[in-house]
Amino acid sequence: MQDFYLIGTLPLWLITLATIAIAALLLLQFLGLRQRLPLGQTIFLTLLRAVVYAGLIFFLFGPALIDRKTTKLRRPLTVLIDSSQSMGFPADPQAPVGEKTPPSRLDAVREKLTSGKEPLIEKLNREYDLRIARFGTSMEPIAPGSLAAIRAQDRGTRLIELLQAAARDGAAQSAILVFSDGIANGDRKSLDGMAPLSVPVFAVGVGQTQGFSDVRISKLGAPEFAFRGREFKIDLTVQASGMKGKTVPLFFNRGKNLITSRPIAIDSDQFEQKLTLAFMPKELGTHAFSVSIPAQPGEQIVPNNHKEFKVEVQRDKIRILTLSGSPAWNYRFLRMALKQDPLIELVSFVFLRTPTDTVDVPESQLSLIPFPIDDIFLEELKNFDVIFFDDFSHRAYFNPVYLDRVKDFVRDGGGLAMLGGTRAFDAGGYGDSALREVLPVELDGKGAFETRGAMQAALTPAGKAHPITRLLSDPKANEEAWRKLPPLTGINQIRGVRGETLLTAGGADGTSGAPLLAIGRFGKGRTLALMTDDAWRWNFIAVGNKETPQNHLKLMRQAVRWLAQEPSFEQVRLQPIPASQPGEKTVIKLRVLKDDFTPTREASIQLRVFGPEGEPIVIPIAADNEEGEYAGEFTPTREGTYRVEAEASLGGKVLGRDKTSFTAAYSYGEADDGLPRLDLLKQIAETSKGEYIPIDDWNDKALERIAARLESIAPSEIIEQRQIKLWSNVWPFAIMLGLLSVEWWMRRKWGLI
Amino acid sequence: MNRRKFIQLVSHGLLGAGLLPRIAQAAAADDKRRLQFVFAQIKYRGGDWNPHPLAVTPLMEELMARTSVEADDARHEVTLIDRDLFNYPFLYLTGRYEFEPFSQEEVENLRRFLSYGGFMLIDDALGQQGYGFDKAARREMQRVFPGNEFKRIPPGHASLRSYYLLRRIGGVRIISPTLDGISIGSSMPVIYCQNDLGGAWERDQTGKWTNACTPGGEAQRRDAFHLGINLILYAMTENYKEDLIHVPFIRRRLTQ
Repeated sequence: MQDFYLIGTLPLWLITLATIAIAALLLLQFLGLRQRLPLGQTIFLTLLRAVVYAGLIFFLFGPALIDRKTTKLRRPLTVLIDSSQSMGFPADPQAPVGEKTPPSRLDAVREKLTSGKEPLIEKLNREYDLRIARFGTSMEPIAPGSLAAIRAQDRGTRLIELLQAAARDGAAQSAILVFSDGIANGDRKSLDGMAPLSVPVFAVGVGQTQGFSDVRISKLGAPEFAFRGREFKIDLTVQASGMKGKTVPLFFNRGKNLITSRPIAIDSDQFEQKLTLAFMPKELGTHAFSVSIPAQPGEQIVPNNHKEFKVEVQRDKIRILTLSGSPAWNYRFLRMALKQDPLIELVSFVFLRTPTDTVDVPESQLSLIPFPIDDIFLEELKNFDVIFFDDFSHRAYFNPVYLDRVKDFVRDGGGLAMLGGTRAFDAGGYGDSALREVLPVELDGKGAFETRGAMQAALTPAGKAHPITRLLSDPKANEEAWRKLPPLTGINQIRGVRGETLLTAGGADGTSGAPLLAIGRFGKGRTLALMTDDAWRWNFIAVGNKETPQNHLKLMRQAVRWLAQEPSFEQVRLQPIPASQPGEKTVIKLRVLKDDFTPTREASIQLRVFGPEGEPIVIPIAADNEEGEYAGEFTPTREGTYRVEAEASLGGKVLGRDKTSFTAAYSYGEADDGLPRLDLLKQIAETSKGEYIPIDDWNDKALERIAARLESIAPSEIIEQRQIKLWSNVWPFAIMLGLLSVEWWMRRKWGLI
Repeated sequence: MNRRKFIQLVSHGLLGAGLLPRIAQAAAADDKRRLQFVFAQIKYRGGDWNPHPLAVTPLMEELMARTSVEADDARHEVTLIDRDLFNYPFLYLTGRYEFEPFSQEEVENLRRFLSYGGFMLIDDALGQQGYGFDKAARREMQRVFPGNEFKRIPPGHASLRSYYLLRRIGGVRIISPTLDGISIGSSMPVIYCQNDLGGAWERDQTGKWTNACTPGGEAQRRDAFHLGINLILYAMTENYKEDLIHVPFIRRRLTQ
């Protein structure tokens, strides 16, 4: 189709002026011709010229023909379907509860898109350049025919972030149609501070807030590890919707055992209460805990009433129980060694009085406490790591049956040390006790405690290599150190050694002489036997000889660590790092001990974190408040497993290395709160110049409205037009030239030329 | 003749008559009992290092009768430069009169002894503050631990709870109702009593008490024995009675 237009660019006043001038010219021409020609001929010639002039004036207006061609485009449309776990919640909170599971929010979306004679998805596919994707924590394209296969299983909804990504990736003049319940639990949970989306979003809201009834435990903060004997706390938030006026119980359990319960009085429709619960673990290992609220009548979402978490209970210190048969210097210096070690917690019982000792005052004037046999052997034993029987005989104090508990303790992984004296080994009656098979030495009931002259301790071949007897790292210096230790004066006779002999006494070297220090294993536990009560001499007599007491202290501390199965005597230990989220600051703590197992603040530390792709990052680390502890900070940038490696050195010598790992992952809490956030969808639609449509209102008319809205933003038809300028055509000028030729010929004929 | 000369003469007379207690030999090889404790008394120059020669045996007998400690019933005499000084982590320093200053070697030995786990009980047999033995003992301890003064021991200290729950300090005479001590870190390796504990412990060869205790009589003597036992057990167990497990029990007893 062609339309005629005047497209001239000359101003009208100029054309008018030209017209007046031409009219004046014609009048002059008419008057001139009239004097020479009759009226008829004059009019004829003037008309011919007037036609030519009229044509010229017409062309001054720029006459043109425009040829138009209209093409209709298929507009790009991105359809996003929320497949997060919350889309598995019931679409209608007031649906009757029956045997059949009520339709989920995702079911409602599927129903709208795929039901009917002409399913909506097909219609959309026909009318739009359709791109379909399901989304949750990420976006994944799907085929229009695979809607039935979508499952509500994404553990989070990064609604806003993914809408931004879809808008960025969408073509110009595209639109987004999103089906969602509006729950957004990614980095962005609201539109605050965000630029409007660049394409219109038509949000179809699924789920209903009216009549929604749910109580849930959200934002549970629990430590991943705790220390035995130290209280740990958990922070949690209880939220409730549509349950005003109800009081619900909250249960805090370890496994199936109830720790405590709290009544929660819900006093508003949108209720939130923060709580802190505490528990003091007494046993090592990984323990499962839970907090739960029983399902309430009419409640839509029950799984979010229950949260479980695990806490790894570790020892912050090695707990040692010593039973000493009497006050003695061996106890005094053993206590000194253990008390000075910050990694050791000591509980001592010294039997200050035997049953045959009499007192001259009432019991109330004595500080003696009754030995809590049942508490120790039936209840508390499992909370210790190592037991020392220090020149102690059970015979005068308790039934031998309690020694079965000690046997069980060692079998289950505990450490047992028996130190010699007149009340130890056979002399203490252990030859026919439950400990006979536990100890690393063989007893026959006949071995006595023998007082001798000076006996020198000597390393056996096994003792030269064992970490307990390694007083110095250099083997020769170590042997020399043992040779210099003060001699002993007493030893327990034993029948033989069942485990390894590390030291002998009274011989020319370590291969002869009586066994002095033996070690062994029983079940999962470790045992040690030191057949003398004179070990204190290695401390105090050495001091008198102007030597150091460190060898005794180190021997005792190393023995304790070996018995407690400290991870291969590690002097450098990274503390477990709790899981974090990307962007969240993570503190990495390291504990460093010197060769004598005392903490140091002087160590040089190299700490490196390897990201999920293996890229190394060096972390600055500095001494922390506690002696021997160092701390550094690291912020993971993305989800994944991070490996941590540390190396500590002192005076150029490497003290040790350790490594651990931790994970960084977003904690979406998808199932925590099932309340649809339709207000967020409305906000997204409004700010992007789209439209919010409740799913129940979704029909063909809604689709038409979308089309109209898109049309109003930018038409979907493309009009192609071609312009034909008449003055650029030869014919008008040929006609005018023809008219002027006729005029010339007539003038000649009539004798004017 | 002054009092000092008189006491020296009496002592020599007793020695000549063979009436002094036998000198203990610690941990004799042929002794079937395994001795866990030997009461070692410091001999020094000048003054009178041995005002109560018979004091230790009654205390050791009492110690063994009341507690599980196997002790030598006789004392061991030792000087601060003896090679076997460190065999006896419990030292007893007593006297009446001012004594000669310790040699530098003795001071260093004693400092090392007390700094690494040894214990010393100082007992003023004269009982005159700032005079005689008291003056010399304080002077020497200042040389051993310069700047570390004696301080009054509080009633709840572990040494007063190591066996008996002591509320009173005994002795021949009550010069001071409290003890003084020198602390190093969390331990107290030196405890000083000015009430002449040795005088209260001492019994003659016929079994009679050598000195009367005034003004408290036999109850005061019993307090002196209790203190002696407590200090020995404190030396052998350190602050064991301050461990958490003991605290509530002791507190209950004290409020009974």
